Amino acid sequence: MQVVKLSLKEANKIPIEADNINPDNFAGKTEEEIKAILVWYGNGQYPLGDFFNIKVEGSDSVENTKLVFEGDVSRVKRIGQNMSAGEIEINGNVDMHCGFGMRGGKIVINGDADSWLGCEMTGGEIILNGNASYYVGSGYRGEACGMRGGKITINGNARDYLGEHMCGGEILVKGSVGLLPAISNNGGKIIIEGNATMPASEMKSGTVIIKGEVSDLLPSYKEEGTEEVEEVIYRKFVGDVNVGGKGVLLIK
Amino acid sequence: MSEILIKNANVCDPAQGINCETMDICIKDGKIVESVSANAKVIDAEGRLTMAGGFDGHTHSAGKINVGRFINPNDARKNPVPGLSGQVARTEKTRAQVGYNTPNTYAIGYRYAKLGYTTICEAAIPLLAARHTHEEFKEIPILDKMGLSLFGSNWQVMEYIRDKEPEKLAAYVAWGLKASRGYGVKIVNPGGGEAWGWGKNVSGLYDPVPNFDVTPAEILMSLAEVNERLQLPHSVHVHCNNLGKPGNYATTIETMKLFEKIKPSRDRQALHVTHVQFNAYAGTSWRDFETGAPMVADYVNGADHLTFDLGQVIFGPAVTMTADGPVEYANARMLHEKWSNQDVELEDASGVVPLFYSPKSFVNAVQWAIGLELALLVKDPWKVMFTTDSPNGGSFVNYPEAFTYLMSAKRREEVISSFSKMALDRMVLPGIDRELDFYELAIMTRSAQSKMYSRPEKGNLKPGSDADIAIYDILPGKIDPSTEYAKVKKAFSGAAYTLKNGEIVVKDGEIEATPKGKIYWVNAKVPSAIDSAMQKDIDIKFRKYYTVSKANYMVEDAYLQKPVEIATEGVF
Amino acid sequence: MPVIKDAVCSLCGSLCDDITVTVENNKITKIENACILGHSKFVGMLEHDRIETPMIRKDGELVPVSYEEAIEAAAKILVNSKRTLSYGWCSTSCETVSGAIQLAEETGSVIDSTANVCHGPTALAAQEKGSPSATLGEIKNRADVILFWGCNPVHAHPRHMVRYSSFSKGFFTEKGRRGRKMIVVDVRKTDTAKLSDKYVEIEQGSDLLLVTALRSIVNGREDVIPETIAGVPKAEILELAEILKNAKFVCIFFGMGVTQSRSKYKNGDAMSSLISDLNQHTKAVMIGMRGHYNVTGFGQVATWETGFPMAIDFARGYPYYNPGETGANDLLVREEPDAAIIAAADPGAHFPQKAVRHLARIPVIQIDPYPNPTTEIADVVFPAAVVGIEAEGTAYRMDAISLRMKKLIDSKFKTDEEIVKDLTEKVRELKRGA
Repeated sequence: MQVVKLSLKEANKIPIEADNINPDNFAGKTEEEIKAILVWYGNGQYPLGDFFNIKVEGSDSVENTKLVFEGDVSRVKRIGQNMSAGEIEINGNVDMHCGFGMRGGKIVINGDADSWLGCEMTGGEIILNGNASYYVGSGYRGEACGMRGGKITINGNARDYLGEHMCGGEILVKGSVGLLPAISNNGGKIIIEGNATMPASEMKSGTVIIKGEVSDLLPSYKEEGTEEVEEVIYRKFVGDVNVGGKGVLLIK
Repeated sequence: MSEILIKNANVCDPAQGINCETMDICIKDGKIVESVSANAKVIDAEGRLTMAGGFDGHTHSAGKINVGRFINPNDARKNPVPGLSGQVARTEKTRAQVGYNTPNTYAIGYRYAKLGYTTICEAAIPLLAARHTHEEFKEIPILDKMGLSLFGSNWQVMEYIRDKEPEKLAAYVAWGLKASRGYGVKIVNPGGGEAWGWGKNVSGLYDPVPNFDVTPAEILMSLAEVNERLQLPHSVHVHCNNLGKPGNYATTIETMKLFEKIKPSRDRQALHVTHVQFNAYAGTSWRDFETGAPMVADYVNGADHLTFDLGQVIFGPAVTMTADGPVEYANARMLHEKWSNQDVELEDASGVVPLFYSPKSFVNAVQWAIGLELALLVKDPWKVMFTTDSPNGGSFVNYPEAFTYLMSAKRREEVISSFSKMALDRMVLPGIDRELDFYELAIMTRSAQSKMYSRPEKGNLKPGSDADIAIYDILPGKIDPSTEYAKVKKAFSGAAYTLKNGEIVVKDGEIEATPKGKIYWVNAKVPSAIDSAMQKDIDIKFRKYYTVSKANYMVEDAYLQKPVEIATEGVF
Repeated sequence: MPVIKDAVCSLCGSLCDDITVTVENNKITKIENACILGHSKFVGMLEHDRIETPMIRKDGELVPVSYEEAIEAAAKILVNSKRTLSYGWCSTSCETVSGAIQLAEETGSVIDSTANVCHGPTALAAQEKGSPSATLGEIKNRADVILFWGCNPVHAHPRHMVRYSSFSKGFFTEKGRRGRKMIVVDVRKTDTAKLSDKYVEIEQGSDLLLVTALRSIVNGREDVIPETIAGVPKAEILELAEILKNAKFVCIFFGMGVTQSRSKYKNGDAMSSLISDLNQHTKAVMIGMRGHYNVTGFGQVATWETGFPMAIDFARGYPYYNPGETGANDLLVREEPDAAIIAAADPGAHFPQKAVRHLARIPVIQIDPYPNPTTEIADVVFPAAVVGIEAEGTAYRMDAISLRMKKLIDSKFKTDEEIVKDLTEKVRELKRGA
C-alpha cells in the first residue's frame, strides 16, 4: 500500500491544474519525486511541492496507491484525471473536472464538487458525499458522447445538465437535480431520488428513473403504462419522439 | 538577395521530364536560376528526393471552414496524426495550433508546409462573403494562395443565360472575379444552389432551375464559354450535379461529354471536374450501391479535354463542407449529425456536416476504394490531381497516408483485408495491382497543377520558376515504396527541407520561418461599353435585392497580402 | 463639404451600410438613413465627454500621463500577471480583435467577448446542433413567414424589419409586409408584438417547452402534447405549427429571450433541431439577432485564429475553451484573475456585483473612447478612436457577412488596434529584458 497525503499550504484563487495528480503518476514515486511534479498555475508551471505539503508512506503499484487530500481543494482542478486504478480521497470541496476521463479506480469526495465531475468517464467509481454542480458525467463541448462507463454516486444534490450526452455507465443522485438531467443521452442509467426539471430531453436510449417530483415534463414523451423496479411502480414514458428515441423514463 | 545552392538533390520534376536524377539546384532572389556564385549558402540534399513544392488545387481552408471550426470545438484536441494535429502551444516561431479536420489558420499554414506543400487553392469563395476568405488567407502563414469564386447558381448569371447575353455574362464574371479577388470560375451543383433557396434541388443536367428557366447544362456551357472568352488561367472547375447519389456516375460522364465541344483558349484542359470519387457511384440505392469508377475512368481514358481530382476518403472523422446545400441537409438527416447551412442571397448555398468514415461500413469502404480506383485506372497521370477535398474526404494531413495507398498494393491489401464481403463485392480495387512511382506522384501533387492553373512558375523546378522546393528524407534508388510504405509515409509527413521563395521554412519536419505568402487573383479586361451595360443591370440587383451596397461589395485592397494580379484580355 | 455615402453604421448587428454622412471641418454635421440608435452613435461623438488623455491611477486618482508611460505601466501589469482576463472587444474592428488575441496568446491570458452576457449560448447551441442559417437577403427576397422569438427589433434593431425582414420587398416578395405573416413569441406584448399578425405569449422560462412541442407536432407526434404547454393552449400551438409547415420560407429570428432565459443554450439548440425538422416540410432557417455591431466579428476572428468563438484560455500556450469555466463572468465570480484588460465594453455597468467587486480589486487596463463605470475601477486608461467613425476596419453583420467600416473624420486619438500593437511590443520588450 502506498499512501500520499496532500494538503494545501495556503488557499489559492488562481486554480491549480492538477491533471498530473493521480495514482498512475504517483505510484512508486518518492516524496521528492512527487514534489517535483509540475502543475499549471495560471500561465506558468510550478512544482507540486510549492503548493502542497506532501507526505508519502510506502511504495506500491498503481492499484494499491491511495491519495488523500486534507482540507479544501476548491481551486484545484482535474484531480484524478485519466486515472486507471488506485484511490483518491478528498476531505474538502473540490474544483472542476474531478475524475475527468477516469478509467478505473475510486474517488471519494467528502465535500462538494464543482462542475464536470466525472466528465468523459469510462470506468471506475466516484462517490460524492456532498453536492455536485453542473454537467456531472457529461462530455466536452460538441462531443456526441459524455460518460461511457463507470459509476457516479452523489449523496447530495446536483445542478443542471446531469449526465448530458451519457452513452453508458450509471449515475445515482440521492438528492435533487436542476434543469435538463439526462439530456441527449444515448445509453446508460440515471437514478434520481429527489426532484428534477425537464428530464431526458432528446434521449435516444438509456434509462432514467426519477423518484421525486418532475417539473415541466417535455412534450416529447409517450406514456406507455407502468413498469416495476425494485417493488416500486412507476409511470413509464418512452421517447424522445423527436429523435426516434427508445429511452425509458420512469417517474412516480 | 540571397543565393542558395542545393547540392546532390535527387530531382523528380515531371514538367522537365526529370525522373530521379541527382543534380544541383541554384536559387537566387527567390527564384530558380541556372547558376549561383561561390557565396551561395549550401544545402546538401544528400541524394534525397527533391520535388517542387506541392500544390493543393482544391482544399477548403479559408471561409466556409470557419463554420466547421465553430460547430466542432471537439475537433480542437483531436490528435490522430501526431506532429500534424492536435493542440500545440505557441513557440518563439509559431502561433498556437489546434485541430485536426478544421485546424486554425496558423496550423493550416505550418502543416501544409511540413508536408512540403507551398501553394493552396481555396475550393469555393461565395462572392458576397469573399472578404472573409481573404481575411483568413492573411492569417495562413507561408503558403501562396488563390481561390475559386462561385458562379453556378448566381441570379445575374442565370438571367444573362436565359436572356442570351453572352457578352454581358462575360463582363459580369470578370467583375465578380475582381470583386471577390478570385482566380477562377467555380460551379457547384449548377442551378441547385438556387433550387435549395426553396429547399429543393435539381435532379440532373436538364432539370430546369425553378423561376429562372435555365438548365444546369446551359449554366455549364455558358460559363465555360465565358471562361474561354476571358482567357482565364484555369478552366471552369465543376462539382457535378447529383453528388453523393448512387447512380450519379452517369451524370458525371454526361457532364464531361458536354465539354467535348468547348475549345480551351489556353494551353490547358477545357474542364476540371472535382472530387470525382463522390460522383462515381453506381447502383440505384444504398442497398445496391457499388463503384462507378471503372465507367468514369473508361471515359476519361478516351478523353483529352479534361482533368479531375480525386476527393479520396480517409477513414476516421471528417467534416463535409460544400456549396452543395441539399447534399449537406440530406447527410445530416441520414447520419443524425449536426447541420449548418448558409444560403447566400442571389448567389449560392452551402452546408457543413461532420461525419465519420468507417472501414466497417460497406458504403464507406467502397467510397475509399473508388478514389483509388480512379487514380489507378486512369492511365495518364497528367489528368489526375490528388486531393481528399480536405476536409470532406479527410484532413490534408493524411496525404502521406493516402500516398501509401497509391504506391503500394501491399498496403492497400492490408486495409482491404478488414472489409466485409459485401464491401469487396462492390469494388474493383482488389483486382488492381498498379502502383504509382514517385514520378507519377509528383505529377498528381505538383506538376499537373502547373498547367491546369496556368501557373508556369509553380509545380516545377525550371529556371525562372519560384524556388518553392520540398526535399524528403527518401533515397529514391534505395527504397521500395511498395514494401517500405511506412518510411514513405514518414518522409512525406515532415519534409527534410521545405523552401518557399528560396527561404527555408521547414527543416527536419519543424517550422523554421513563417514568411507571408502571396495571393493570386485574376483581373479580366472587358470592353468598357459592355462593362457599363452590365453595371446597369447589377445596379438594379443591388438596389432592389441585395442587402449590401454595391460600393461596399468589392474586396478592398487592404485585405490582400502580397497580391499578384493576373491580367487577362477578354475576346469580344 | 464631403458627403460620404454608403458608410457603415457601427452600432448594432444590423450593420446598415447605406448611411450618408456629411462632414464639415472634420465634424459630422448631417446623417441620413441611420435609425435612432445609429444616429445617437454618430451624434454622440459630439455630445459625450471623451477620455482626453491616457491616465494612470495614482493614490486613488486617475491622473493624465504620456502615452509611453501608460503603455509601460500597462505592459508591466500584464507581464507580472499569472492570470489576466482580457474582455470586451466587440465594439471594435476585427483587426483589433486579431491583435488582442495575439496579445492574450503571448501573455497566457483568458480572452472573452461580450457574447458572454449575450449570444454566447448561441455558440453553444451551434456546437450541439449546427447553425441552419442564411444571409439576410434570403429573408428579404423569399421569406413569407417571419417569426421573432424573444427579441424586440422595434427597439433593438430599428431598421431590421424595413431592410431585411417584415417590411422589406424583394424578388419573390414584392408585396412586402402584405405578402408575409409576422409572428412574435414572447413573454410580454412588446412593441414588435403589436405589429405582428400573430402573437403567442408564453410563460417565463418555458421556451424549450414550446419549441419541443412544435417539434413533436412537426414530426407528426401531436399525440404526446398535453392540453397546455408553456402557458399556451394546444390548439394555438397546432395552429402555429401549421403556419410554419405550410410556409414557403420560414425564418426565425431569435434574441435574448431565447439565449438568456431558463435553460439558455438548450433553447437555441432545440430551435436548430426544430428548423431541421421543419425543412422536411418547407424551407426554414434561423438567424440570431446579434446586439453589438461586431460581436459576430469577434466570434469569426477568434474561431479562425484559435478554433473557438469566445472564452479562450491561453494559460497553457494553446487555446482551451469551456464556457462555464473560461468565460469572463466565470473567472470573475470565482475571483481568479489577478489583472484585467477591458476594451470596447463596459463590465462595470453590465456585470454582476460580485464580478465588478473583484474587478475593483485587481489592476485593470481600459481602452475606450468614452469614460464609463469601468473607468471608475480602471488603473491604466487609454483613450481610443471611435471605430467606424474615426478609424476604419472590418465588422461582421449578424448573418456573418463582413463589411469594411470607413474612417469618416480625423482624430487625435490612437486606434485601439494601434494601442494593442504597442502594448504587445512593450510586453515583448519587457519579457526579453527579464
